Amino acid sequence: MNAPHTAAPQRIDTLALAETPEGIVLSLQPAGLVARTLAFLLDLLIRLAINLVVLMVLSALGRLGGGLALIAFFCVEWLYPIVFELTRGGATPGKGVMGLRVVMDTGLPITPAGSFIRNLLRVADFLPFGYAFGIVTMLLNREFKRLGDLAAGTLVVHAKQVVLHDAPPDAASIAPARALSLSERAAIRAWAGRARRLTPARFEELAQIAAPVLPPVQPGDPKRSTAERLLGVAQWLMGSRG
Amino acid sequence: MSPKHFEATYQAMWDTFAAQIAEAKLGKRTDGAQLATHYRRVCEHLALAQSRAYPIHLVSRLESLTQDAHQLIYRRQDYGMRQLAQLLRVGLPNAVRAERRVVLLALLLFALPLVLSLALSWHSPDFALRLLNASQLRNYEAMYADGQDALGRLRGADGDWQMFGHYIFNNIGIGFRAFGAGILAGVGSAFVLIYNGLLIGVVAGHLQRVGLGHNFWPFVATHSAFELTGIVLSGAAGLRIGLGWIVPGRLSRGEALRASARAAIPLVYAAFFLLLVAAGFEAFWSSAAWIAPAVKYGVAAGCWALVLAWLCLMGRGSVHAR
Repeated sequence: MNAPHTAAPQRIDTLALAETPEGIVLSLQPAGLVARTLAFLLDLLIRLAINLVVLMVLSALGRLGGGLALIAFFCVEWLYPIVFELTRGGATPGKGVMGLRVVMDTGLPITPAGSFIRNLLRVADFLPFGYAFGIVTMLLNREFKRLGDLAAGTLVVHAKQVVLHDAPPDAASIAPARALSLSERAAIRAWAGRARRLTPARFEELAQIAAPVLPPVQPGDPKRSTAERLLGVAQWLMGSRG
Repeated sequence: MSPKHFEATYQAMWDTFAAQIAEAKLGKRTDGAQLATHYRRVCEHLALAQSRAYPIHLVSRLESLTQDAHQLIYRRQDYGMRQLAQLLRVGLPNAVRAERRVVLLALLLFALPLVLSLALSWHSPDFALRLLNASQLRNYEAMYADGQDALGRLRGADGDWQMFGHYIFNNIGIGFRAFGAGILAGVGSAFVLIYNGLLIGVVAGHLQRVGLGHNFWPFVATHSAFELTGIVLSGAAGLRIGLGWIVPGRLSRGEALRASARAAIPLVYAAFFLLLVAAGFEAFWSSAAWIAPAVKYGVAAGCWALVLAWLCLMGRGSVHAR
């Protein structure tokens, strides 16, 4: 494994981190079994449809048509995923619909060799029946790689990141009672970013933990909950003053 | 700099950048230099935002910007005919020679059963029946029999095309499977090699024994140069990938698997190319009954020499000339 994988001990998410030459770390979100199976089934339908159309069109041409149809079947069976992965943003139509794409472990776009390896090794993933090897391998590693992905060094990732945080809601800015460390500031900002997704009770409960950093309530102040006052601190940390 | 100030300062630039990425993704022409400059700036911004633990919505916005641009900037643009020619002239023969030990192993696994079963079924009448049943043998005999319907008799051009499609679908599929099965510690590829060797040997020996050799040998001589080599190479690729699995050496198993897959893939390309040529010869040349056997043998000798010269001689000394 690469250094970034082992550097963070006991991670509880499945993000795959890849460092780029620019010195930033891309966090790739590997796609799990369900999304990939749905994408596969969609592709299967599309491939069947192509085969049917080819058969209908070429059957008019007799034995010449039969030969051409077999060539077309060959391309649809073996080259369909390779061609799409190498051209259309690294995704077959089925993967595109599911919002997935194939990239190298390094976050780079997939290479021809990588695409060939991962798609030709489908043969082994299929064994002994119904993609059993592939499914078991996928469930055994944290990046959901099947055998072909392991050998090719590729990842199937969600193309769009899931973002659970918004900008903190507006509140009257309050200076904290003491200077805050970097991790404390990050925690308060992250808490504030989840205002729209947490229930008010849970939001308030979490705010109580950070209550010690709030300044004491002055006599003339309007009555506000801890969460509202902590949002004020979050706004202060965001840079709103006054 | 507070997060608010940071966002306000660079907001406009990020928006332009996002618009530019969206356009480039649709395939429109964009200013590459400007894209790269923006990309580097946004990378800096992302690194700053991460190290200062700026709010997560801000960091993830920069992350998705950089990821999209990263995919765009590092995408491959070198699918040219020149690269393909270079690969055929230099890359593939060199790769095959670099893996000569697995190629020889695959050759042994294929050729030994072939020669053995050929000799046995040629000289003893019942050996063929130990591997194939009587109706299969009768089918092969009918295929190469003298007469109108047999292989290599008169067949229209449409029939040639039909067989061409059949050979591509069937034979190249088998080649790809021989490679794919190799990840099972190489056992699958070894099986495919031995099985095909035995089968081809038995059929050849049997046809020779029953006196149909004059139809069989001219038919197979030419395309066998490409087809047998193709089978051996795809089997060798499978063995190579299996070796990485069972003999990882100093690498971790995952690393070894990836390295051996990388080493094996040129062999697959070479096998694919050879099997494609074989399908062409098998459909359009081998079956042409009006060509005298002597001519076919002559062309076959030339083809064998060509294939061996390609694999053994071509591209020597130009490894560093890329």
